[in-house]
Amino acid sequence: MPIAARPHSVRAMLLILLLPAGIGLMALAWIIHGALLERMSTDFVESRLKDEVAFLEHQIRQSGGRTDTLQTGDYFQEVFHHAFAIASPSGQSISPKTWTPLLRPLLSSEQEGAVRVRDAEVPAAPSEMLGYRRAFTVDGNSFVVIVAEDMEALQQSQAELHTWTAVVSVLLVILMIGSIWVGISLALRPVVGLQASLKRLQSGDISRINANGPEEFRPLVRQLNQLLDSLDDRLERSRDALANLSHSVKTPIAAVRQILEDTSRPLDKNLRREMASRLDDIDAQLESEMRRSRFAGPQVGQSACPVKQARDLLWMVGRLYPDKSFELSTYLPEHHRWPVEEHDLNEILGNLLDNAGKWSSRWVELTLGEDQGRLKIIISDDGAGVSETARSQLGKRGLRLDEQTPGHGLGLAIVHAIVERYQGQVHYTSSKAGGLSAVVEIHGSDRFGSRSSN
Amino acid sequence: MRLLLVEDDPLLANGLSAQLEKAGFSVDTARTAREARQLGQQESYRAGILDLGLPDGNGLDVLRQWRTHKVSFPVLILTARGDWKDKVNGLKAGADDYLAKPFQTEELIARLHAIVRRSEGRIMDILTAGRFELDENRQTLRSGDQTEHSLTGTEFRLLRCLMSRPGQVFSKEQLLDQLYSLDDTPSENVIEAYVRRLRKLVGPDTIKTRRGQGYLFDADSR
Repeated sequence: MPIAARPHSVRAMLLILLLPAGIGLMALAWIIHGALLERMSTDFVESRLKDEVAFLEHQIRQSGGRTDTLQTGDYFQEVFHHAFAIASPSGQSISPKTWTPLLRPLLSSEQEGAVRVRDAEVPAAPSEMLGYRRAFTVDGNSFVVIVAEDMEALQQSQAELHTWTAVVSVLLVILMIGSIWVGISLALRPVVGLQASLKRLQSGDISRINANGPEEFRPLVRQLNQLLDSLDDRLERSRDALANLSHSVKTPIAAVRQILEDTSRPLDKNLRREMASRLDDIDAQLESEMRRSRFAGPQVGQSACPVKQARDLLWMVGRLYPDKSFELSTYLPEHHRWPVEEHDLNEILGNLLDNAGKWSSRWVELTLGEDQGRLKIIISDDGAGVSETARSQLGKRGLRLDEQTPGHGLGLAIVHAIVERYQGQVHYTSSKAGGLSAVVEIHGSDRFGSRSSN
Repeated sequence: MRLLLVEDDPLLANGLSAQLEKAGFSVDTARTAREARQLGQQESYRAGILDLGLPDGNGLDVLRQWRTHKVSFPVLILTARGDWKDKVNGLKAGADDYLAKPFQTEELIARLHAIVRRSEGRIMDILTAGRFELDENRQTLRSGDQTEHSLTGTEFRLLRCLMSRPGQVFSKEQLLDQLYSLDDTPSENVIEAYVRRLRKLVGPDTIKTRRGQGYLFDADSR
């Protein structure tokens, strides 16, 4: 559920992610700080106590075991601010006296080294202390020395320090929230700018978005601008096409109507043929304009599956020309994609294959390939071929090289127009079987990048 | 020759049926998809002309229904849309040819005669091996999961050869006979390439390699 309810604003998302993380990390740092502080002070006190025990031991050894010669009394307490206890064969001395209930059990215990006493309930003595106990022998007499420090006072100052750290941490967290907020706001400023330009674009103040945004948004802006370019382009083209179409269609319609309305005029054979030819003109105009307006040209994100489409079309022409063999030769994988609009590729392949099917005697081969970023389509047949001089006229609009097979000229002209739109080339050679080989080459990669940079 | 004309425009239907009768066909006309479905399944025709845009449905659906009910007369599709994808879909649905409106009646009649001639003596010619069905008329392969694959000429001939005798080993030389290409000496690598492609359709274990001998079609493999 919390994932499903994810907020849609980048700002909210960042705050929701960064704030708890920041606060959590700060709290963790504070806890670690406390633990380290505790350990450090304990270690420090312990090493000092150890030094003092060593010093006492040294003194006792020097005096040959006579503890009474030691300068006892309040000296140690005054110099070291520590309590101590010495057990010798001659007796025990504990200073200050109020610590006796705490230190006496330690003297008789067997524990060596650091000793921690907590929650002791002895009046006039600390409830918590750290002591260091050491047993040794001098001239056959065994001694026990304990030096102890009041930890209560230390812990109090430690707690104070820790509290201050917490206060500073909270201040830092507040500063962090502020800087995160400022950072997010600054980082999102380009988005706000983009939003504003989109609004201005909608209201018509500007026609293209300014591309001087941050690196991350440049491709987006570029694609948006390209989309706008292609929209404008398409609108202009379809307007032109419609204007051309209505111009060339209305006249023959007017002529035919005129004839039909004139009831006094007999519909003789000549007139019928005349009318049919006018209707044919309308059809031809419609067909050519429609096919022209249908192809899309280079677009963002449109991609065709060359192998799949080629297989379908090869199968189709194979059904239409059942005694001819249509073969595919390609090393491209089945689901390979090309940055060509699907319908455009169908038009290129379909027209070329249909043409080859008409002219071949029994064999047509379609080769798909890629060569250094160029998409390559080769369609070869084993027909009679086209002479070298006539080849340059192939695909030129309005020229029909064959009079028997209608529609030949239009198909190739459409292929040329589409390939031109993709800034590619079509050329013709003779195939190894003597027929015609049509070679289409289109730039595959970086077409959009190079287009938008000029 | 009995012919079913499915066309909803009365002017075109009447004119066309008159011209077809003149050319020697006896024409039944259907104006709706429902009528077309009924007539196609009840009567036996030698050919059909089918308009795709019908008032109560798509002509392609009518055609698909005919074909699932084993109605096998050849069908020529008429449509105003001349898109390549539409043509492919039309033929995949079971049509035999395709003509874009407007057309000349002579061309329509010529195409009709061509598809009738092609269909002559044609029964549902389906080669079955294991879970695979090879439709010889339509050059398609249907596998057990009912997906239909369209095949190119050579793929079809190689598969027909292998499927005609499942379990028998065919040498590369025998398979090379199924292949006509422009190379004077087609190499055996070409056969390997085609077998690789066919294996993608039928599964890697269905066509087995016998080292040094050739290939065999194992109909029982999964």
